[in-house]
Amino acid sequence: MHGWCGKILRVDLSQGKITSEPLDPQVARDYIGGRGFGIYYLQREVDPQCDPLGPGNKIVMAAGPLTGTAAPTGARYVVTTKSPLTGAITCSNSGGHFPAELKKSGHDAIIIQGAAAKPVYLWIDGGRAELRPAEHLWGLSTHATDDALRRETHEKAKTSVIGPAGEKRVLFAAIMNDRDRAAGRAGVGAVMGAKNLKAIAVRGEGEVALADPAAFKAVNTKYREAFKAATKVNPPALRTHGTAITVVGTQAHGVFPTRNFQQGTFEGWEAIYGETLTKKYLVRAKPCFSCPIACGRVTRIPEGPYQGEGEGPEYETIYSLGSDCGVDDLAALTKANYVCNELGLDTISMGSTIACAMELFEKGHLKESETGMPIRWGDGQALVDLCRMTALREGFGDVLAEGSLRLATRCGHPELAMVAKGLDFAGYDPRGVQGLGLAYATSPIGGSHMRGDTAYFELLGVPVTADPLSWEDKPPLVAKWQDLFCVIDAAALCVFFSVRYLVEQNLMVSPIGITELLNAATGAGYTPEEVEKIGERIFNAERMFLLGAGFTRRDDALPPRITQEPMPAGPAKGMVCKLEEMLVPYYRLRGWSENGVPGKDKLAELGLI
Amino acid sequence: MKVHVSLFANLRDHAPSGQGRFELPLAGGATAADVLAALRVPAAVQVVLLVNGRRADSAALLHDGDEVTLFPPMEGG
Repeated sequence: MHGWCGKILRVDLSQGKITSEPLDPQVARDYIGGRGFGIYYLQREVDPQCDPLGPGNKIVMAAGPLTGTAAPTGARYVVTTKSPLTGAITCSNSGGHFPAELKKSGHDAIIIQGAAAKPVYLWIDGGRAELRPAEHLWGLSTHATDDALRRETHEKAKTSVIGPAGEKRVLFAAIMNDRDRAAGRAGVGAVMGAKNLKAIAVRGEGEVALADPAAFKAVNTKYREAFKAATKVNPPALRTHGTAITVVGTQAHGVFPTRNFQQGTFEGWEAIYGETLTKKYLVRAKPCFSCPIACGRVTRIPEGPYQGEGEGPEYETIYSLGSDCGVDDLAALTKANYVCNELGLDTISMGSTIACAMELFEKGHLKESETGMPIRWGDGQALVDLCRMTALREGFGDVLAEGSLRLATRCGHPELAMVAKGLDFAGYDPRGVQGLGLAYATSPIGGSHMRGDTAYFELLGVPVTADPLSWEDKPPLVAKWQDLFCVIDAAALCVFFSVRYLVEQNLMVSPIGITELLNAATGAGYTPEEVEKIGERIFNAERMFLLGAGFTRRDDALPPRITQEPMPAGPAKGMVCKLEEMLVPYYRLRGWSENGVPGKDKLAELGLI
Repeated sequence: MKVHVSLFANLRDHAPSGQGRFELPLAGGATAADVLAALRVPAAVQVVLLVNGRRADSAALLHDGDEVTLFPPMEGG
């Protein structure tokens, strides 16, 4: 095989056994990789009603056929499992260098099943793999774990680890690779912790074989040259300021979530946005493997109560630990971000859960006798303390560790958790980005923007222009964008290149560019239509898993704040998200029933029955 | 008339006195294109342009006191 290595590593932690199995070429063709492999194995091997923290759940870590090649942003992998936070499927996505190293070791994916009796780690050294004791690593931060693993295995090994948060099964614990890159959403780190798997270290010196190296080089060069030419005149804001520059766009559109989504503009935005981060704390930009953009931030707070260093914050963190909590202290926010990375927590859910706690506290639904401390809007020190307490399940952190929806429910106000299907929203208020409201509500994993980020066309006009405040036109755009994001996640490329630079050549409305790269790497001979169909297949398979887990049409919902409370101010003033008006046509054009169930015709068309 | 202009990232290079936010006097009936011309933003530079928080193209008619925001295309995350 080319592009694909043709090998899956199956790790049975209950039996302490590791086996190598061949990747079925038909499965490779029909699901591509990454998120596609995730749902393929999960739908076959995991009972959607299983206990996510029990031994019956599995974790699929899958790279794509372009991961580890010179394709621009061929750097990612996808972690798929049943989420302990939501009970839904989750596929969490990360870049860095670990995924490419996995391919170089000769593996497309790792399937982790069962649970170990005592903490272990997995060491993959080229074609050899073994489980090693990890009791001496249990309790270590993600950074200390990475240090220790590289001492014990190989100094150039790449690691993917959990911190104390995953060990303690914080329901939104992350899996951190290369120290500061996060497979963040929906508690994948807790699943790994429940299996007593502390880490994976991998070393590979192979090269990903290409079906047509000359064609691959030509296609690759075409896109990289186009990128270089475009960025000569238009220096990528992502490289100069990181994703943190996105605050400009959301604040200007009035959709920057503030104080638990009570407002869409934050008076402190300038203190926490990209250009301020660059001025105050940026050390340098940092790329993932094979990436020409370099949106990563290496940062340092040189002195003061929040002194520290690490990577980030990203835009999502600036929303969740910044505006959403009313915090305009960039040092406090950045320090909280470092704490989340070191202890292994999803910054989005962490910030959103604190924001929920702040609103509950300010409104008297949560008492200081319960929390042990005041939890008020804008308190930067409390922010940092609560992140640490949550990761370690100390004091009130033990309650926060269960997530915003359980917290709000126990206080008698579930409507104050800003979630869909129990997963906290990203940094865009759907009252001002209508299509994204439909995307949040119908995403198989819950309130994620990365399952069809319609902000591209609703806020930036890329690749098509759409009015963020209109809703009648959104259902077909959202469905198409969701399917295309499945393709990007299956190929395991980064959205930032796939959308932005392929769009320059008007290739993204149909995935022509990704298809060219896939064909040159794998020799599969795909058409763009077939590739788009694979995206639709993945999305529908995830939907079926979701329904099997007990979710229904009623769960394709958003909080009443979003659908009933008009945005109080700003460019989206007076708007609510018209979700119900969008859902009915959306189900219809997807070939689903009015209850959101994929019809038999649609499933047969996609080869799912 | 006067409009309030905010420039971000590389668009700041076109700020008349280095300040990211400033007032720009314009003739009545001016459009967003006149803002780009006044700031000498080259045609090849990509701009996302908002007028009072709504995305607009260069033909958009401006009024006294309008907020005009210019930033490069960017991505979230």
